[in-house]
Amino acid sequence: MSPHTFILTLFLILAAIGAAFFIHLYRVSCSTEGPGLKKVGAKRLFTLVLLLAVFLILLSVTLPKSPYYRFTDVVPEKTVHVTAMQYTYMMSYDAFKPDMSDYKPPEGGVITLPAGKPVEFRVTSADVNHGFAIYNDKFELVTQTQAMPHYVNRLRWQFDKPGTYTLLCLEFCSSGHPAMRGMFTVK
Amino acid sequence: MPTLAFKRITSLWIIVVLVLFLSAISMGILMRFAQGSVSPMDPAKFYVLMTTHGVTMIGAWAAASILACNYLMARYVKVSTGLNLFALIGTGVGVALLWTSTFSGNFHAGWTFLYPLPFKAGGGWQAAAANQFLWGLMLLSIVWLIWCLGMVWQILQKYSLPQAFAWQHLSKKEPAVETPPLILITMVSLVGMIVCFITAIILLAMFFSESGWGLSGKPVLEAKLDPLLMKNLTFFFGHTVANEALYLGLAVVYELLPELGGRPKLHTSWYVSLGWNCAVLFILTAFFHHLYMDFVQPQGFQIVGQVASYLASVPSVVVTLISLAAVLYGRGFRWSLPSLMFLVGAAGWIIGGIGALIDATISNNIILHNTLWVPAHFHTYNLMGNVLFALGFFCWVADDFRGTVDPRKHGLKLVLMIIGGFGFVLMFYLGGAYSVPRRFAFYPAELTHAQLFATMGAWFALVYSLGLLLVVLNVLKKCFLVFLPQRS
Ligand code: HEM
Ligand SMILES: [Cu+2]
Repeated sequence: MSPHTFILTLFLILAAIGAAFFIHLYRVSCSTEGPGLKKVGAKRLFTLVLLLAVFLILLSVTLPKSPYYRFTDVVPEKTVHVTAMQYTYMMSYDAFKPDMSDYKPPEGGVITLPAGKPVEFRVTSADVNHGFAIYNDKFELVTQTQAMPHYVNRLRWQFDKPGTYTLLCLEFCSSGHPAMRGMFTVK
Repeated sequence: MPTLAFKRITSLWIIVVLVLFLSAISMGILMRFAQGSVSPMDPAKFYVLMTTHGVTMIGAWAAASILACNYLMARYVKVSTGLNLFALIGTGVGVALLWTSTFSGNFHAGWTFLYPLPFKAGGGWQAAAANQFLWGLMLLSIVWLIWCLGMVWQILQKYSLPQAFAWQHLSKKEPAVETPPLILITMVSLVGMIVCFITAIILLAMFFSESGWGLSGKPVLEAKLDPLLMKNLTFFFGHTVANEALYLGLAVVYELLPELGGRPKLHTSWYVSLGWNCAVLFILTAFFHHLYMDFVQPQGFQIVGQVASYLASVPSVVVTLISLAAVLYGRGFRWSLPSLMFLVGAAGWIIGGIGALIDATISNNIILHNTLWVPAHFHTYNLMGNVLFALGFFCWVADDFRGTVDPRKHGLKLVLMIIGGFGFVLMFYLGGAYSVPRRFAFYPAELTHAQLFATMGAWFALVYSLGLLLVVLNVLKKCFLVFLPQRS
């Protein structure tokens, strides 16, 4: 199952449980006879312990998977410098100044990255906040970071599948926002 | 008991909120049809609608929640007609500024106006439009700050500061003075609101330090402020204001739900007091989850963001949900439209919360951040939560004005709103899960599913609006009646 389908399924199941709880509440509240909620204190304590336990497990499972801790102990095979601007991405293997005076376009005009090796993107912006979201050839969002002026976000990733990857901007940057695009290939 | 003047100002507020709501919904439906390519729209125009829709909706329902609590507070403390009139006039001027800046000045930097976008329009709008928008927000922040301070003052006339936070319930089982849940929840939420309006005022002042304090503004050639700091402040404000509004809505539910169904009042106990005091602390730090994808943000904040987002849900579930369950359980509860709205609203609040928690998990946020998942979950707890809490109050109060009660369930209208509302947000969730970006005026051809979800979402929203309209017309009629000379 793709992480996308997994998240959707998880949500739908939990939402259905939530909805079922409220439907249940409605039905028992309509019955004219019947006991009130018994042992409320015990139920409260049980819910509290259960929730805390679930959250503790979730935190210990998910936090280590945060992007800040992934690929930290590897040396990236390639580094790509990215400057986002209204409404495009400038990318190069060499660092360049925000005013582009020393910008060297990649050979053949397209950034090409090795498959199966860790790579790093150093992402900044020349004007406003932008997003730097990487979509695979099926147009599924793979990973992302923000492009913020005055700051450089380092995004490390490893692309296992060769192909063409598309960049979309995921931070609203005015009217050209939905048309802002970039691309690179993985070989 | 509310005086006639207080009833009149309340119904005037309700009329304004509902008119703003209906117009912002039409903008929403137009946007969704545009995204579905049913009626494509020039992106600049789309973003004018998006900016206006966002700021109007958040403002209208925050105001409605404050208003509802103030009306119910009249049962315990002295309230002021003048204060609410002042807030209404100030809000009117603020909204006029905001709408002029967008509709006539073409300002469209989004309602979260991340620095330095308002100053880098690329020809989309003039410096004057940006300053008008920022001034609109500044005015609202100042007026609402005074509004909230005034309400805190009203509470403090009767309760001491520790009592207002129900701290005496922490140590004693049956203290001499009982703080009703309504007062406790209103108090903690108002404090949150106050902190967030002060932040907004500071944030806006920082904008003005570059663009000038005048309404006409001046072009900002070099944006020198720290964009990361500005982003933190912006979300502290934006996130918090929306969440506190929801809490105020819950205060209304605590107060009215038992009474509407013929059950005894809910009382404050040590866990209610503890839960609500904690909830406010957590909610003030949960906003960090808006910056997960800014890897330069100090990592400690990122972790705090996830932990606080989780913890914020604990008191809600353990205290509020179980208290509601205890009210409703097996007792021949008398349902009517307002109480049903509260029930559905609580469901929307919880389901939206589940969506929020999934997104607040950093490892999921990588593929959900700024996708349609974000509007999906906040529309769930706004449209199907906060709005229903306030609307339930509106329906109840429109009768309360005349001392009558409408015992009917109006099931069909509510069913339309339920099907339409949840269908509308489901289309957002589907898009979000499958990587459709939020805030796209049109979708890239490759995202084939996006347009279909958008069009279906718009149709669902129309169904919701139909149910809503039937409810609202009735409420509006009763609100206007309060202005006729009253027999007594
Ligand atoms: C049936 C009613 C509604 C409809 C049809 C609707 C529709 C929309 C649409 C299409 C968007 C743009 C989504 C995107 O990013 O692509 C949006 C954004 C938004 N909506 Fe709604 N909405 C509704 C109700 C509400 C309510 C009740 C609230 C709040 C109380 C709300 C608050 C917002 C906010 C804050 C945004 C974000 C604006 C921005 O990105 O700057 N909406 N809505
Ligand atoms: Cu962009």
